[in-house]
Amino acid sequence: MVLLTMIARVADGLPLAASMQEDEQSGRDLQQYQSQAKQLFRKLNEQSPTRCTLEAGAMTFHYIIEQGVCYLVLCEAAFPKKLAFAYLEDLHSEFDEQHGKKVPTVSRPYSFIEFDTFIQKTKKLYIDSRARRNLGSINTELQDVQRIMVANIEEVLQRGEALSGSAEIDTLNQKKYSSESPTFNKQHFLSYLG
Amino acid sequence: MSAPAGSPHPVASARIPPMFGGAATSGAVAPTDPSLAPHQQNGPAQSQMQVPSGYGLHHQNYIASSGHYSQGPGKMTSLPLDSQCDDYYSGLYAVPTQNVMPPSTANQQAGAQQIYGRGPPAPHLVGSTPGSFQGAASSASHLHTSASQPYSSFVNHYSSPATYSANSSIASQGFPSTCGHYATSAVSNAAYPSVSYPSLPAGDPYGQMFTSPNAPTVRPVKDHPFSGQNTAIGHPLPLPPPPSQQHHQQQSLSGYNTSSWSPSGLPPTNDSLTRNHTGSLSVSATNPTSTDSSSSAVPPNVHLPKSSPVVSTAVSGAPSSRMPPTAHHPVEPVTSVTQPSDLLQQKGMQYGEYVNNQASSAPTPLSSASDDEEEEEEDEEAGVDSSSTTSSASPMPNSYEALEGGSYPDVLSSSASSPAPDPAPEPDPAPVPAPATPQPSKMAKPFGYGYPALQPGYQNATTPLHSGVQPSGSVYSGFQQCPQYPGVSQLSSSLGGLSLQSSPQPESLRPVNLTQERNILPTAPVWAPVPNLNLDLKKLNCSPDSFRCTLTNIPQTQALLNKAKLPLGLLLHPFRDLTQLPVITSNTIVRCRSCRTYINPFVSFIDQRRWKCNLCYRVNDVPEEFMYNPLTRSYGEPHKRPEVQNSTVEFIASSDYMLRPPQPAVYLFVLDVSHNAVEAGYLTILCQSLLENLDKLPGDSRTRIGFVTFDSTIHFYNLQEGLSQPQMLIVSDIDDVFLPTPDSLLVNLYESKELIRDLLNALPNMFTNTRETHSALGPALQAAFKLMSPTGGRVSVFQTQLPSLGAGLLQSREDPNQRSSTKVVQHLGPATDFYKKLALDCSGQQTAVDLFLLSSQYSDLASLACMSKYSAGCIYYYPSFHCIHNPSQAEKLQKDLKRYLTRKIGFEAVMRIRCTKGLSMHTFHGNFFVRSTDLLSLANINPDAGFAVQLSIEESLTDTSLVCFQTALLYTSSKGERRIRVHTLCLPVVSSLADVYAGVDVQAAICLLANMAVDRSVSSSLSDARDALVNAVVDSLSAYGSTISNFQHSALIAPNSLKLFPLYVLALLKQKAFRTGTSTRLDDRVYAMCQIKSQPLVHLMKMIHPNLYRIDRLTDEGAIHVNDRVVPQPPLQKLSAEKLTREGAFLMDCGSVFYIWIGKGCENNFIEDVLGCPNFASIPQKMTHLPELDTLSSERTRSFITWLRDSRPLSPVLHVVKDESPAKTEFFQHLIEDRTEAAFSYYEFLLHIQQQICK
Repeated sequence: MVLLTMIARVADGLPLAASMQEDEQSGRDLQQYQSQAKQLFRKLNEQSPTRCTLEAGAMTFHYIIEQGVCYLVLCEAAFPKKLAFAYLEDLHSEFDEQHGKKVPTVSRPYSFIEFDTFIQKTKKLYIDSRARRNLGSINTELQDVQRIMVANIEEVLQRGEALSGSAEIDTLNQKKYSSESPTFNKQHFLSYLG
Repeated sequence: MSAPAGSPHPVASARIPPMFGGAATSGAVAPTDPSLAPHQQNGPAQSQMQVPSGYGLHHQNYIASSGHYSQGPGKMTSLPLDSQCDDYYSGLYAVPTQNVMPPSTANQQAGAQQIYGRGPPAPHLVGSTPGSFQGAASSASHLHTSASQPYSSFVNHYSSPATYSANSSIASQGFPSTCGHYATSAVSNAAYPSVSYPSLPAGDPYGQMFTSPNAPTVRPVKDHPFSGQNTAIGHPLPLPPPPSQQHHQQQSLSGYNTSSWSPSGLPPTNDSLTRNHTGSLSVSATNPTSTDSSSSAVPPNVHLPKSSPVVSTAVSGAPSSRMPPTAHHPVEPVTSVTQPSDLLQQKGMQYGEYVNNQASSAPTPLSSASDDEEEEEEDEEAGVDSSSTTSSASPMPNSYEALEGGSYPDVLSSSASSPAPDPAPEPDPAPVPAPATPQPSKMAKPFGYGYPALQPGYQNATTPLHSGVQPSGSVYSGFQQCPQYPGVSQLSSSLGGLSLQSSPQPESLRPVNLTQERNILPTAPVWAPVPNLNLDLKKLNCSPDSFRCTLTNIPQTQALLNKAKLPLGLLLHPFRDLTQLPVITSNTIVRCRSCRTYINPFVSFIDQRRWKCNLCYRVNDVPEEFMYNPLTRSYGEPHKRPEVQNSTVEFIASSDYMLRPPQPAVYLFVLDVSHNAVEAGYLTILCQSLLENLDKLPGDSRTRIGFVTFDSTIHFYNLQEGLSQPQMLIVSDIDDVFLPTPDSLLVNLYESKELIRDLLNALPNMFTNTRETHSALGPALQAAFKLMSPTGGRVSVFQTQLPSLGAGLLQSREDPNQRSSTKVVQHLGPATDFYKKLALDCSGQQTAVDLFLLSSQYSDLASLACMSKYSAGCIYYYPSFHCIHNPSQAEKLQKDLKRYLTRKIGFEAVMRIRCTKGLSMHTFHGNFFVRSTDLLSLANINPDAGFAVQLSIEESLTDTSLVCFQTALLYTSSKGERRIRVHTLCLPVVSSLADVYAGVDVQAAICLLANMAVDRSVSSSLSDARDALVNAVVDSLSAYGSTISNFQHSALIAPNSLKLFPLYVLALLKQKAFRTGTSTRLDDRVYAMCQIKSQPLVHLMKMIHPNLYRIDRLTDEGAIHVNDRVVPQPPLQKLSAEKLTREGAFLMDCGSVFYIWIGKGCENNFIEDVLGCPNFASIPQKMTHLPELDTLSSERTRSFITWLRDSRPLSPVLHVVKDESPAKTEFFQHLIEDRTEAAFSYYEFLLHIQQQICK
């Protein structure tokens, strides 16, 4: 199951496009993952591995970095890795074709939010098990998927340089309240913003 | 009412508290878990509370700000400012009267210098002596330009008391000062070029002020306080029989004058000047050093700013030149007769009045107590209050004493001196000097009689008067004014002319004797008062269209606010359509680190690198990025950034401001297709509208749309691209609603456009033969919620009857026989909490529910409306809708839909309002959900939504001279951009009651009161709400009355700023929402209440008090040019049948409806040229359009109507109403100044108020 898809610029972590959570139930839980994803984007740099799988409890992040753009997906841990990476490759080729040249120039977050439409369609293909069979590419092109680095998201986020002010607050709060109701997190966040 | 609430008297009763007190909430207050609150507050609110240390500093802040200008970036020193002052005064105000100007400009500069000289070094004085001289000075220094003059003059007054002793000069100077208000308006002109009323009104109000020849009407009341008043109120024809009145008049002329003169030694009624003069005068004369007096002396100082400009405008306008002479003429005979008796009576009266005065200061509490359930609000506040009332009231007696001591001789001299000043102005003869003289005295009686009852005969009397409107006005003015004028001059003469210099009074404070004021309504539209700030701040301040406060002068303490008995609150129109809006994209949005305020024009830069928050006074760093100004492409000028140059800006938010990726625009239509709905035929109109506007729906390529229809079952439509035609899926299990397919119900608008079009074409005919009469609205809404919750968006519900099946079913609660009950109106609240709960769920999922109720029968809007109220939706109601039988409603739906479908929309929004430390917000009005104490959750925001907030003053504002309010609206645009729209409003703080009254924004106040009254109606009862509205007038006017030194119990005096208050309140009482005794359908009433809660001020005011124009004689005189079109500007007429002549045609602008009333005797020329009909008889009964005829009058009329239409989002429907047609009741119900079977006429209402005050 693909829960969350995000595309960001590696240089500064600026989110470029994303797909809305579809499911009401998971939508609430996703809040936490989403902020993890945002933090992750801030962490990434030129030296980061270009393909990586990050475990986050029952969920797993997969990302690829191509031409300075990171494509990230959050799936249930059971979701086939192969499919996930094939999905990301699909997104990459389409996104690069549509918006690749504009990526370095934009400053507004989610400048390419309309790419969501494509993400959703592609996602549907990969989720639907019948349609999946038609994706011949996965069997051939991604044989080396097993060799992709695996790490834990928490560790990745803890590691390295000090976090910036606001990010720090996010993390702290997130830790502190992660056990509490997810709606609360949302509220907190909103009040912080408003 | 709220403010008034803190009635000092402990006996105060429960009238107000629930509604106007702190706790009431309009939107549901989130049952926020208290434990959560602190966390949520995290950033802003909490820290706001925690900054006491910074608080004390703020004065330096302001001084620093001037310092900043002088020493800041470029050694600019005060020069620029100075020169601005000069420009300002010389440029704008140096106009006509040179004789007045020289001194004032001189003062001006002196003042300015004083300011700069004094400001910086004297900060400590400021805080320590509140209300004392220094306080005034500091505020003056802060208000650079505007305050300067008063200050200087004040200084002058003290330093060289003998300077101004010439009577005439004083007279002429003092007089113009009355016009302060208009001067200000002129200033506003500068700021808002579109405003167009400077000179016209300046003349008019004067006319009005003095038009009142009704002195006689008051007198009888006075003479027979009981009989007169009682009759007035009890009987439809209140006034005593003519003969006796005449008698009174003769007699009372003297009695009247004396009685009123005695208290202050000043003329009776409209002595705008007098009051202040006396106040300050007495003070200065008797005990210049005492703090008491200084506190009362300060006020004039503070308003002075207004008066300084005043001089010029007033001068330019007619009044100054015109009034005196007119005054002179008619007066003389009268005065001559009067004076002697005056003198005789004076002594006796003085004592009597003095006693009265004391009584009157006591009555303030008393009256509220006797008013039984007066507002009590917080007890402690009230307790403190009462003590402070007495203490601060003590200056009043003092000043009375002082006054009397000082004025007594004056009075004597006055009689002598009164003739003296008159000759001086005479050179400029009154427009209608000689013939007018007899007129007023004669006319006076007819006025007195005719007015209350509005007898037909009365009109006859009026017509001649109004034939020459202006002149007659001035004639009357003369009549009224005569006593006043000498009064002022005598006083000044005796006191060496100090008073006038020290306390010219702003126009807004000019006392208006309401019962004598014939034409209270100005002929030009009423504009928002401009806060009394210096020119720089005025220019920067937020447009009143977006952001208004009921008091443009914020009282320093809650006690002062309580004393003023006025509601304090904000009216917001945060998302209105703007033609110009600076949009700022930057990596860092600069905000205060402690209170999270957005940087704004009213912060101060301490130096290049630091700025001080104007709300919590914390000093923040200026981020590096902010040093660069993208507009000028220069570095190092942070104060020139657009954020600091505009009080309304929009930021493109960073991803920090996003909880999730910006959502797409999602529109779901939930449509009633039961038999009733099909019969009404709305589907055709809706589908047609949608088809026409499908491409104009706001949104990006992700936009989604879906349809659900329902009767006793729920029908979904699969519109997945690739299908050959729309698929209808029926769910008949309404007890447990489920979605028949997870996706493809909300589809991408562009990918499935063909299918959508097919569906829209098919829908109107799909159910034509349905026999299903039931309506399962509740389950359909549950389904809608499920569909929308993954994304959020907008649900548009079309309902035509009472929901009769499943969850949320409703029963009829209306008893048609009770529609005109004067007693209890029940069922204003919801019958079930189903809709509210559903709305809260929707709100949580960023979904707003908009309700279109198109029903011919009772549909329990009170319950249904909850679905929109709490989800930040909007409500439209079309009573007795039928697409064929009721074409005007059909047209209205069509027009509304066009606007609704294509207007801007913001998604997943939150709005937070912040205000300067010391103020706090307690009750919000509008459609939203209150998520935490001050965070409004708005699933959708639309440009037609208005909000109101009630404020209280928690901590004294003594050590600040300015307060600010900031609204931040964070929303996702339909293009998927996260944006923050920020409005910042800055207002001065004042310490005297007079200043509070001077700054009242009566329209804002009335709108806030209306909101409060709606809450009150629902939470308590309609009659409570009505009482509270009346009490708001009674309390504020009696509170005002007790502040003016020569308050007469018999006269109903209001400051000019509040003169429309009783009229508007009366209008509210006759509004559908609050009226009683007139047959009003419950749904109509509830809808009116919904509108009051959610309409922005501009629309609400038209709804409360429509504008009436005569349009059969439009001329180009005073016309304005808009887009190469000449738009005539006919004067506003008061809402009274008295204004309607059978020979005329009138246009009434009720906001959402226009009526054109055609009199029976209307000239055929007009009917032919404008309506295209040969004569009156041939005008069709239902005419909703004006033909485009190639005649001048047609062109003018259409151009005027188009201009009115363009000024509002919803294009109103036009009704041509023939006199004698049944539809005319619709028109006549808006003539709120007239008496109906169930309600007072305006004049009766005034008498009622007066009686209440005297009680």
